[in-house]
Amino acid sequence: MNNRLETFVKENRKAFDVMEPSAGLWAKIEQELDNKKKKKPVKLYLWMSAAAAIVVVFGLVWLYAEKLQNKDLEIADVSASYAKKEVHFAGLITEKRDSLAIFASANPELYKKFTADLKKLDEDYERLKAELPTSPNQTFVVKAMVKNREIQLQLLKQQLLIINQVDDYKRVNQI
Amino acid sequence: MEAVYIDKNLELVKKCMQGSRAAQFELYKLYAKAMYNVALRILNYEEEAEDVLQEAFLDAFTRIVDFRQETTFGLWLKQIVINKSINYLRKRKMEFVSTDELSEVPDEDSFDDSEVRLQADEIRAAITELPDGYRVVLSLYLLEGYDHEEIAHILKISENTSRTQYMRAKKKLKSILEQKGMRDE
Repeated sequence: MNNRLETFVKENRKAFDVMEPSAGLWAKIEQELDNKKKKKPVKLYLWMSAAAAIVVVFGLVWLYAEKLQNKDLEIADVSASYAKKEVHFAGLITEKRDSLAIFASANPELYKKFTADLKKLDEDYERLKAELPTSPNQTFVVKAMVKNREIQLQLLKQQLLIINQVDDYKRVNQI
Repeated sequence: MEAVYIDKNLELVKKCMQGSRAAQFELYKLYAKAMYNVALRILNYEEEAEDVLQEAFLDAFTRIVDFRQETTFGLWLKQIVINKSINYLRKRKMEFVSTDELSEVPDEDSFDDSEVRLQADEIRAAITELPDGYRVVLSLYLLEGYDHEEIAHILKISENTSRTQYMRAKKKLKSILEQKGMRDE
C-alpha cells in the first residue's frame, strides 16, 4: 500500500481541524474555575478555624490547670506571720460559732440573722482567697483576709454577747 | 520561529501557574479548536466532545502546577483530551478490537487509491462513518501523529492489533471514499 493518504493528510493537516466548539464553552470553564477557586479558600478557612479552636481549647485547659494548681496557694505561702494570725482567728471563730449554735434552738430567728451576716463575711473571705493566686499585691490580699477573720471574730463576740443578754432577759422574765 | 512560539506558551503557562485568568483564556483560545477536533474525531459526538474539552481544560488549569516542561503544553493537553475521550468511549462499552466489520472490508490487498480524488472534507466525512474501533486508531495514527507503540499504550491493546486495525481502517476509509466518488459521478 502506498502512503498517498498519509502524505495528503500531513500536507493538509489544518484542513482537518475545521469544527468549532460552541462559543459559550469558555464561560462554562471559567465558571467551574471560579467554583474551584472559591471552594479551596473555604476549605483552608475551615482548617484554620479548626486549628484555632484546638489552640483555644488547649489554652483554656492549660489556664484552668494552672489555676487549679494555684488554688493551693495559702496565706502561709505569702506571709508566715499573717498565717499564724489567721489560724489563731480561725480557731477562735470555730469555737464561738459552736457556742452560738448552742443558743440557736432557743432563738432561731436571731440565729438566722446572725448566720446571714457571717455568711456574707465568709463569702468575702472566699472571694479574697480566690483572688490571692492572681493578685499583683498578695500581701495586701492576705492582710484583707486576716482582717476579715478578725471582723468575723468581733461580730461573733458581739452576737454571743447579745444572745447572752437576750437569754438572761428571757430567764428573768420567766421567773 | 518555532522557538519564539514555544517561549510565548511558556510565558502563558507560567502565568497560569500563578492563576492568571487572562493567561488561561489565551491558552484556551490557542488550543480549544484543535483539541475539540481531536476529541470529536475520537467520540464522533459533538456534545461529548465539548464535555471532554471542558473537563480537559479544567483539569489542565487545576493541575498546571504538575506540568513539567519536558513536553509542550499543547502535547500535554492533547494527552489529557485523548485520555478523557477514550474513557468516554469505554463508558459506551466500546471494544477497540472488533472483528465484526471484517466482512465489510474489500478483499483486494493491493488496493489502488490513485483513482480516488483526495479532499480533506471528504476524508473527514468518511472518517466519521468508520466504526468506533477503526476511527480511533486511524485518527490517532493518521491525524494525531502517534505511532503504533504509543497507540497500543493508549488503548491498552497490542502493537500488532493497532497495526492491523489501522490497515483495515484505511481500507474501509478508501471504500467509503470510492463509493462516494461513484455517487458523485
